[in-house]
Amino acid sequence: MTEREPIRVSEMTLHDFRNYESETIHPAPGVNLICGENAQGKTNCLEAISLLSTGRLLRGSKDSLAIRHGATQARVSATLNPMGSALAVQLALGSRKKVLVNSVSLPRASDVIGRLPTICFSSQDLGIATGEPSERRHFLDTELAQIYPAYLRHLTIYRRALEQRNALLKQAQEGSFYPEAFEAWEDQMVEHGTEIRRIRQDWITWLNPVAQSAHQRLAPGEGFLLTYEPREQDLALALSSRREDLARGTTTCGPHRDELLIEVGGKAVRTFGSQGQQRTSVISLKLAVLESAREVFGFPPVLLLDDVFSDLDQNRRSALVSAALNEGGQVFLTCTEPGQVGGELLRSSTIFLVQSGRMGHHEATL
Amino acid sequence: MVFAKPLAELIAQLERLPGVGPKSAQRLAFHILRMRDDDVRRLAIALTHAKESLRLCQQCQSVTEAEVCEICSDPRRNPVQICVVAEPRDIAAVERLNEFKGTYHVLHGLLNPLENVGPEQLKIRELLTRLRDTVEEVIIATNPTVEGDTTALYLARLIKPLGVTVTRLAHGMPVGGELDYADTATLLSALEYRREL
Repeated sequence: MTEREPIRVSEMTLHDFRNYESETIHPAPGVNLICGENAQGKTNCLEAISLLSTGRLLRGSKDSLAIRHGATQARVSATLNPMGSALAVQLALGSRKKVLVNSVSLPRASDVIGRLPTICFSSQDLGIATGEPSERRHFLDTELAQIYPAYLRHLTIYRRALEQRNALLKQAQEGSFYPEAFEAWEDQMVEHGTEIRRIRQDWITWLNPVAQSAHQRLAPGEGFLLTYEPREQDLALALSSRREDLARGTTTCGPHRDELLIEVGGKAVRTFGSQGQQRTSVISLKLAVLESAREVFGFPPVLLLDDVFSDLDQNRRSALVSAALNEGGQVFLTCTEPGQVGGELLRSSTIFLVQSGRMGHHEATL
Repeated sequence: MVFAKPLAELIAQLERLPGVGPKSAQRLAFHILRMRDDDVRRLAIALTHAKESLRLCQQCQSVTEAEVCEICSDPRRNPVQICVVAEPRDIAAVERLNEFKGTYHVLHGLLNPLENVGPEQLKIRELLTRLRDTVEEVIIATNPTVEGDTTALYLARLIKPLGVTVTRLAHGMPVGGELDYADTATLLSALEYRREL
C-alpha cells in the first residue's frame, strides 16, 4: 500500500478538561515531549488526544469526572492536518457527550473512530503480560475496535445478547425456565461471537511474525509466540448445552472467556516470565500493533507514550525510541525528566513544560 | 418541604408515570393547581374515559374502542400480509406512508430478559393464532436494536416452519443523509445489505 501523509494534530485546545482551564498548544508534526512533575497534567494532555481519537476517556473513566472542578462543561477540540478538519468532543454535566466533526454532531461518540488513529502505550500496559485473561481481552478489544469499526459492532451486539442470556439464566435459577426463550439470544451470540473470534484470530496470526521480529531485536535468541486460545471449538454447541451455565447462573463459554497466550522461550510469560521478559513481550506486542495500524490506515497512527521510560532499561528504551522515530508519524511522549529520553530523541523533539494545568512551549532545546 | 396531603398524593401518582421523575412530577402538579377548574375536570375525564372505553383489538392487539379495530375491520385491507410492530404508535408511523395495505399485529414490547420481558409477556400467542388463517407474509418491523433484532429472530424461528414467508425491514443509509456523517453501525449494515443495480 502506498503511504499517505499521516493524520496529525496541528492545534489542540482544552477547555475545562481535567485540570486545564483553557489552554491551546500547537504540536509539531514529529515528536512532542510533554515534561513536568507528577500530577501537573501530562497524562491529561494525552487523554485529550485519545478522547478525540476514540470518543472515550482512558481506562474507562466517567465523562463527568473529566470536567474541571467547578465547571459544567468540558471541551477538547483540535485541528487535524493535512485536511485541516476540525474535531471536538464536549462533555457536559447531565447531558450526553457530543462529538463534532467540522461542527456537525455525530450520531454516536464511537462514530469518531478512524478519523484520528492513535496507539496508546502506558506503563499500565504491563498488565497485558502480568494480569488476568480479561486484561488481554481488553487489549484485543480496544485495539481492534480502533482498527476495525465492524469489530466494535460485533462486540456491542455480542455483549448485549450475553447480558440478556445471563438474565435468563438468573431467572431460571429462580424457577422460571423457558428453553425457547434462550435460542434467539444464543443465535445472536453465535453469529457475532464467531465473527469476534475470527477477527481476533486473524489479527493474532498477522501480529505474530511482526511481534517476533521486534522481540528478536530486543532479546535475541529468546523465542516469542502469541497464541489465541478459544475457550471451546463449537460455540453454538457449547451454548445450547446450557447445563453448566444454568448451574452457575452465568455464561461460561464464548469469546468473553477466551485467552491470548503469550510465551517466551516456550513458557507462559505471565506465570514463568521474569519482569524483564514481561516488559519486553509487551513492548514487542505493542510495536506489532503499531505496525498493524500502519498497514490498515496506510500511514503511521499518532503514538501516545505515557510515562513509559521510568521502568525501562537503556536497551528497551532505545528500541522504543527508534521505533517512534522510524515511524515518521506524530508522537506525544510524557516524562518527568527530559534527561530520561536520551540525546537522539531529545534533539528532534518539541518540548512542552506542564505545570498545574498550564503548558509552556519550551524554546531552547535542552 | 412538606406538601399538603392532596398535593403530595398528586405528586406521588404523577411520579409513577414513565419518564416522570420527582422534579417533573412537582412541576406538573403545580401546573395542574394553576389550571382552570374545567380544564382540570376535562383532563380527569379524559384519563378515566380513555381507560374505561379502550381495549385491545381482538385481532391485532392494538388499542381500540371497538372489539375489532378500524384497520382490522376494513374490507379493503388485505389480511394475507401482517406487519408486526412493537408498540401501537409504530402503526401510525407505517400508516402515514399510505403504502401498506395489509394488517398489523402489536407485540406490546420486545424480548428483554433484563427487564423481565419474555415471550409470555408479548402478544406472540395471539399472532400465532392469526396465522391459522391464510397468511402469506409476516413483515417484522421492530426497531433495529439488539432487542428488536432478537425478537425478529425469535419470531422467524416460530413462524417459518408454518410455511409463512417472514421478512424484516431493511436497515441502511438514511435518505438524503451524508455518508461522511453517518453512524458507523448504519453504514456497516448498509454495506452488508447492499443491492445490485
